[in-house]
Amino acid sequence: MDTRKEIINRLRSAPRSSSEPRPDVPPLPELALGRSELIQKLMDELTKLEVSCHRVVREEVREKLAEILVGEGITKVIVSNDRIVSAFDLSAWGKERGFMVYRSSDFNDRDTLKRVVFEEVEAGVTGVDFAVAESGTLGIIHDHNQPRLVSLAPVTHIALVPTSKVVPIYEQVVDEVFLKGGNIPSQFTFITGPSMTADIKATPFKGMHGPRRLIAIIYDDD
Amino acid sequence: MSKVSLFIPCLVDMFAPSIGMATVAILERLGVETVYHDEQTCCGQPALNAGYGNYALEAARRFISIFGDDEVIVSPAGSCVYMIKRYYPELLEDDPLYPMAVDLSSRVYELSQYLVDVLDITDVGAQYEGKVAYHESCHILRGLGISRQPKVLLSKVKGTEIVPLFAAEMCCGFGGEFADRYHYISEEMVKDKVNNFQASGADVLITCEPGCYLNLNGFLHRQQENKKVLHLAQLLAGPEFQGL
Amino acid sequence: MKIRTEEFNSIAKKEINNAYARAFLGLLPPIIAMRRVQVMSSFPNPDQALKLSRAIRSESIARLPDLLEEFEQKATKSGAKVLWAKDAQEARKLVLSLIRDRGATFVTKGKSMVTEEIGLNEALEQAQIEPIETDLGEFIAQQLNRPPFHIVGPAINVPVEEIRDLFLREGIMKEDTTDPVQLGYAARIYLRDKFHHIKVGLTGVNMAVAETGTIINVENEGNIRFNKSSPITQISIMTPEKVVPSLRDAMHIIRLLCRSCTGQKISAYVTLDTGPKKAGEIDGPEELYIIIVDNGRSEIYANPRTREVLRCIRCGACLNTCPVYTKIGGYPYGWAYSGPMGQILNPLLLGLDRTQDLYRACTQCGTCRDICPGGIDHPALFLYYRSCDVEGNEKLAGKKRPRSERISFSLWGLAVKNKLLWNTALRLGRFLTKKYSSDGWLTNLGRLFPGWFKERDFPSISDSTFRERWKEMRKGKYGHP
Repeated sequence: MDTRKEIINRLRSAPRSSSEPRPDVPPLPELALGRSELIQKLMDELTKLEVSCHRVVREEVREKLAEILVGEGITKVIVSNDRIVSAFDLSAWGKERGFMVYRSSDFNDRDTLKRVVFEEVEAGVTGVDFAVAESGTLGIIHDHNQPRLVSLAPVTHIALVPTSKVVPIYEQVVDEVFLKGGNIPSQFTFITGPSMTADIKATPFKGMHGPRRLIAIIYDDD
Repeated sequence: MSKVSLFIPCLVDMFAPSIGMATVAILERLGVETVYHDEQTCCGQPALNAGYGNYALEAARRFISIFGDDEVIVSPAGSCVYMIKRYYPELLEDDPLYPMAVDLSSRVYELSQYLVDVLDITDVGAQYEGKVAYHESCHILRGLGISRQPKVLLSKVKGTEIVPLFAAEMCCGFGGEFADRYHYISEEMVKDKVNNFQASGADVLITCEPGCYLNLNGFLHRQQENKKVLHLAQLLAGPEFQGL
Repeated sequence: MKIRTEEFNSIAKKEINNAYARAFLGLLPPIIAMRRVQVMSSFPNPDQALKLSRAIRSESIARLPDLLEEFEQKATKSGAKVLWAKDAQEARKLVLSLIRDRGATFVTKGKSMVTEEIGLNEALEQAQIEPIETDLGEFIAQQLNRPPFHIVGPAINVPVEEIRDLFLREGIMKEDTTDPVQLGYAARIYLRDKFHHIKVGLTGVNMAVAETGTIINVENEGNIRFNKSSPITQISIMTPEKVVPSLRDAMHIIRLLCRSCTGQKISAYVTLDTGPKKAGEIDGPEELYIIIVDNGRSEIYANPRTREVLRCIRCGACLNTCPVYTKIGGYPYGWAYSGPMGQILNPLLLGLDRTQDLYRACTQCGTCRDICPGGIDHPALFLYYRSCDVEGNEKLAGKKRPRSERISFSLWGLAVKNKLLWNTALRLGRFLTKKYSSDGWLTNLGRLFPGWFKERDFPSISDSTFRERWKEMRKGKYGHP
């Protein structure tokens, strides 16, 4: 008998047990918030996580981004090709402002992309598909326009967060991404603050393996 | 007048009978008639703890045969009450006595619980001049969910100030045979508790659990500390009940 | 990893005197456990939130075979390859051949308790494949060849001087520093190069979602994300009970997992993988292997009494609150899983005979049960293990207790149901202990209970027990014999 069958059969032949009664998901307070309170709550949570939050209007995004890069001393960035980022045509903006801008869509092999994100650039710029007010969590669908390493390997991650993407709680995200019957992404990532650890002497610090800095530019798009 | 059947566990009977006497004194003072079945022995907890469930089962059967008809059973030992409520039905799962065990478990009360929740009495007319801290014994707090009741009784004692105890809900390290077999761990736990007691500035530490009482007083006695631990019943009943 | 569960007492006696580790352990209940309480209060109704996660785990276990098959079917449909291993040996063989076939000389690993359980690292080393732990704490523990001290902070007890010496010796760092942050960054740079060049990444799995065939990892450092983004092949290893019914369930479990584990609302990264990368995607694995390792789980499941153990979500909250763990740390438990979590699991995986102290070194205080987001009653399980050990339960490798103890309890068993015998024993006991008694206290009992009497006295058996006093009192009161 093969291993799979053996394991399943043993589980199946075990005496059945019943489940405990299931209460509802506790009605989380975020569900009761209005639009602007929700955005405020998101920003409060992000700030608690030491994420730098910048609230601007749509027209100011490119300017803000330039200001942040200059402030951080960053000259080379990679930008993902998702719909949010592409709308800002950051290639042209980079040429204007004197930043070296790689677009993830410029790469068609893994190794070249890896060399750039691991060794070249100082920041990765991505859009987000969701921003969850519950915990200041950014949700990103990874696909051909949103490679996984862009928001992971560079030491700084700058996220463009349109306010239309703000939702109260996680359940709304997973329903939307996984249960609407569309294409389920190969990877979906919830990002809540920069990479961190406290594994040595219980001393917390940011940037263990992933980004040390997470910066959110939040702008109105609706 | 209410009437209760006393369940005085073996540890109290043998090593700290004054706790039992204090229990009787308080109840009688409140006009509650007490009955004591002389045939009672032990609830079976030591056997269950050591893995001898079959003997604990014998103890459970006997307990039910003795107390089965009593309307209300009251005990000054939370962990024994917990034993009856939590484990008797489980031990007797396949036994004809099972329904009795379930039924009985709803009629057994820890002393402070009986006073506050059943009799609705918070002031028993006690008096104690000094500061007290309350130790939240494991089986009382987490087993029976009792915490408010002893504290409200303490708050009504004349002359008493309740002071907070750091890590009050932390185990004192008794655990029956644990305290002997793993004494080196148990000692660290009892030291923590005593240190927190000292730091609280309380004159006396109150518990509702004879196990904790014996553990903490055993340690304090060896260390020749002047401070001591009292069972809540002893404090409520008065000075003549505060010896062993 | 050498299994040292039988050395519990000797390791614990040493560790209890380890001032450095104790300083850290002392912070767990007041700080880490308190942080959990605080962040739990972000729920409008913390009890309900806890109850729901327990109910989800309960349902996951009740429906385990169905959910597992559903998960397999959905994961396979998404393009993942699901493989099964019945025990540690089969699992090692599977992983090894996958890695060998891909010509990898080293693999990076995300923290995975099950790989420690199956001794994967040793097997890889023997096969000349270098396993590189990438969680900072695991990385240090691996280099020091030590078991995890704590499931969340595997090397949190290791002094910085020791880490400095290690990093200098192994060429991980050049600069001489004991600053925890600088030490961490040295490891970052060292491991970053590995992440860049890996062919195969190994990870564990926090949850496997039946409704979509998704695997979920929860982490703070980002090392698991690298292991799932950079290499061409991803191997994720799980035990069957990781499965949950739905994504909504998974997200609620994550709420409780992170709050219980580190006091966060959610950890820095939660990644949900459904199949390998799709055509046109530039990074992420071309092939995703999910290996389901039974290693005793289906046996644990077969016994309705032990099944509950499978509800554990490995949050580690029970360690932080356990009055025993917080005195002795993780090493005495002798294996991958420590604290109450290890005390319920190790005896089932290794046998009651080899883990005698794990299910006895417990005061039954119940804090683990109270906070457990899985809804496990650890103290009751320990009582069950003790009873199986006493009866010599063959399936669980019970050992039976020493003759002297069995005799004592059989005598106790006789006395407890016979008032005459009970009272005679009491009087006999009072008579026999008289010579040790002074001022109403015993300071020792000869060869009996030497542990207790090391630093504690015990009251002598009273000259007038409650029973005796009651009789006296009633005589006086009613004036007749």
